[in-house]
Amino acid sequence: MGEPAIAVTGLRKSFGPKEAVAGIDLEIAAGSLAGLVGPNGAGKTTSLSMMTGLLRPDGGRVLINGLDMWADPPAAKAVIGVVPAEARLFERLSGEELLEYAGRLRGMVASEARSRAKQLLHVLDLAEDAKRLVADYSTGMRKKAMLGCALIHNPSALFLDEPLEGVDPVSADVIRRLLTRYVGSGSTVLFSSHVMELVEQVCDHVSIIDKGRIVATGTTEQVRDGKTLQQAFIDLVGTRAHDEEVLSWLGSSSS
Amino acid sequence: MARLLVQLKLRLLFNALRASTGAKVGFILSTIFAALVAGGVFYLLSTLGGGIAAADLTTAIFCAFGLAWLIGPLVVFGLDSTLDPATLALYPLRSRPLAVGLLAASATGAWPAATLIGLLGATIGLARGALGVFIALLAVLLQVLFCITLARFVTTALAGMLRSRRGKDFAALLIIPIFALYEGFIQIVPKLAGEGALTAASFGGVDLWLRWTPPGLAVHAIRDASTGHPGTALLRLALLAGIIVVLGVAWILSLRRAMVTTDTSTQSAVRGSALPFARYGLRGTVAARFWLYQRREPFALIYWGITTVIMVVVAIRAVLTPDWFGGLLASAAAGGAFVGYFHANAIGMSGPGFGLEAAALNGRRAMRAWFAGQNIAVGAIAVPLVTAVSFGLAAIAKHPMDGFLATAVGLAGIGAGLALANLFTVALAYPVEKRGGTPMPRPVSGHNGEAFAVWFLTILGAGVAATPVILAAVLTRTDPAAIWMPVLVLVGAAYGLALTWAGVRGAANVAEQKLPELAQIAIQSAL
Repeated sequence: MGEPAIAVTGLRKSFGPKEAVAGIDLEIAAGSLAGLVGPNGAGKTTSLSMMTGLLRPDGGRVLINGLDMWADPPAAKAVIGVVPAEARLFERLSGEELLEYAGRLRGMVASEARSRAKQLLHVLDLAEDAKRLVADYSTGMRKKAMLGCALIHNPSALFLDEPLEGVDPVSADVIRRLLTRYVGSGSTVLFSSHVMELVEQVCDHVSIIDKGRIVATGTTEQVRDGKTLQQAFIDLVGTRAHDEEVLSWLGSSSS
Repeated sequence: MARLLVQLKLRLLFNALRASTGAKVGFILSTIFAALVAGGVFYLLSTLGGGIAAADLTTAIFCAFGLAWLIGPLVVFGLDSTLDPATLALYPLRSRPLAVGLLAASATGAWPAATLIGLLGATIGLARGALGVFIALLAVLLQVLFCITLARFVTTALAGMLRSRRGKDFAALLIIPIFALYEGFIQIVPKLAGEGALTAASFGGVDLWLRWTPPGLAVHAIRDASTGHPGTALLRLALLAGIIVVLGVAWILSLRRAMVTTDTSTQSAVRGSALPFARYGLRGTVAARFWLYQRREPFALIYWGITTVIMVVVAIRAVLTPDWFGGLLASAAAGGAFVGYFHANAIGMSGPGFGLEAAALNGRRAMRAWFAGQNIAVGAIAVPLVTAVSFGLAAIAKHPMDGFLATAVGLAGIGAGLALANLFTVALAYPVEKRGGTPMPRPVSGHNGEAFAVWFLTILGAGVAATPVILAAVLTRTDPAAIWMPVLVLVGAAYGLALTWAGVRGAANVAEQKLPELAQIAIQSAL
């Protein structure tokens, strides 16, 4: 394997006494579609925020195509696109204005930004809503608009945090096909998700994070180890069993 | 059902005391204010006597309560969960008992009690004799019922609209006339009353048509009963009761519809297909974003409205007196200072959208472009606004040429305000959130200290920074005005631009070093 597109070493972050990310190491090859999975509060979003220059780590190193994110943020940020878990959009711009704005922030000339914005809106099935304010968009439409903002400057690495949460199956298929095509051209995707079936279907590389530590990483086949990814995940992370006997009334139609 | 909903309302009120410090203080202040209104209105009405002018003033006060009950719930729609039928639509409830329950819930709380207690002053002031007092009691009860039913009908009928983005925008903008009325009331009414220009007799004749409104019917029923016309009084109360029944039926019908109607969403599109000024580099692109936000974001419009009201209020008492010149300059300086204050937390106020910018902006030059773009968009509105208000006030003072001097001070104030705004945006950034009951973003709990410091230092700093131009304006006034006034405007503009330039450079230097921390603050904002 040549130089990895994304290389993370010893990345850690604490919030007060709570250690959110406890020194993770990760290597994602160029052209890979990698998944980062873990239970709620495992440190996925914190890790992705530190990898994308939006949260200063307490320690560790993040290299994107050999560019150090925290030693030279301008150079590293120029080659990545980011889709956060929660909408970070300017709600009072129209979809078309938003994508053009994202392109212009990335230094694209106005005509090119406008042209790519129209093409992306068309592919993302947002052309008919291009002139509506983002404030009036549904959850799925916002996710697609965020993806458009992240792709407009054609980054070599894309980071997505729960990209399909709240997205309908048709839109999810659009996003999935777009990502597959993007990776096919040699670019790299790292995304976090709770949906094991999705990760199993589309990812060639999987890392499982729990309590701020990477507990398994490798190709999807290696991590599955002959089981479903869901089962492998539960085996590694463990179940959170509770005494369900107290809900003995549930299912009864008597009251 | 009524008991359950009253318990729910009481629980919601009680829980306000367990909320964040800011919410708790707001609730306590609101309750104290309600008690003051109850006591003040009761005292005023009970001391009016039974004359013609007293009936006019009582009618005006009853109508004011009706208007307050009409507008208030629209503004606090998100605050009181019991106002929104959608919160109850999930449960198997019949509309008639639900209506009774909601009515009872509406009558629970400090403000319904304040309305009842305050208006009961009419039983002492306007009413005469046992029959007059009895009719007054009935009239006040019917008036309170009318206020509650009207508020319920309007909020239920508009509930779908108020939940939509455009409806929330409309409700938010109501704060501008309310603020203007409030400021006008506390600034002008005490002055006029103190000078003897405003007495009960000033209201003589206002009820020529107000007497036929529902609150007017209640007041004139009391007067008729007190002057020996019980039949007319009962007829007026019967008419008022009929209006309440019609409103109640309309409310129940709209409640039935609201329970099975989906929310309306805004489908309108924006005009134009491109970002304006985007061809002028990163600075032009950022200016375009801020420019569009000044037009489309309700709280941006509210800030401009409040700035205008403050400029007028600061000067209005002075411009009609020999001290008009001081008022004019103070108004212009205040305009510049408030322009700065309202933009002094630009990153926190940008909200999570700033994450998009933080992921793309790189280095000091980019941050300079970001601050300069913001200043260009804000200045494009602030400069003509402050100039127009300054010349308007100078014209009212009958010294229109002195508008030049006020404009010079205003330009310096805007420059100083924006420079401080840029610096505090990076030095004292804090996350904000929108809460029910107020259309304007408030500091997230735990950040009130930064918010207060930003307010205090921006207003004080802008005033101090504008002082040289204020002094120049005072000294120039004695010189041949036609020569010096335009020169002073240019000096004020150049001084303001220099301050803004320094503010942009200083803020960009700091922002470059702490962009990830600023991004995290913006992401914490909930707008």
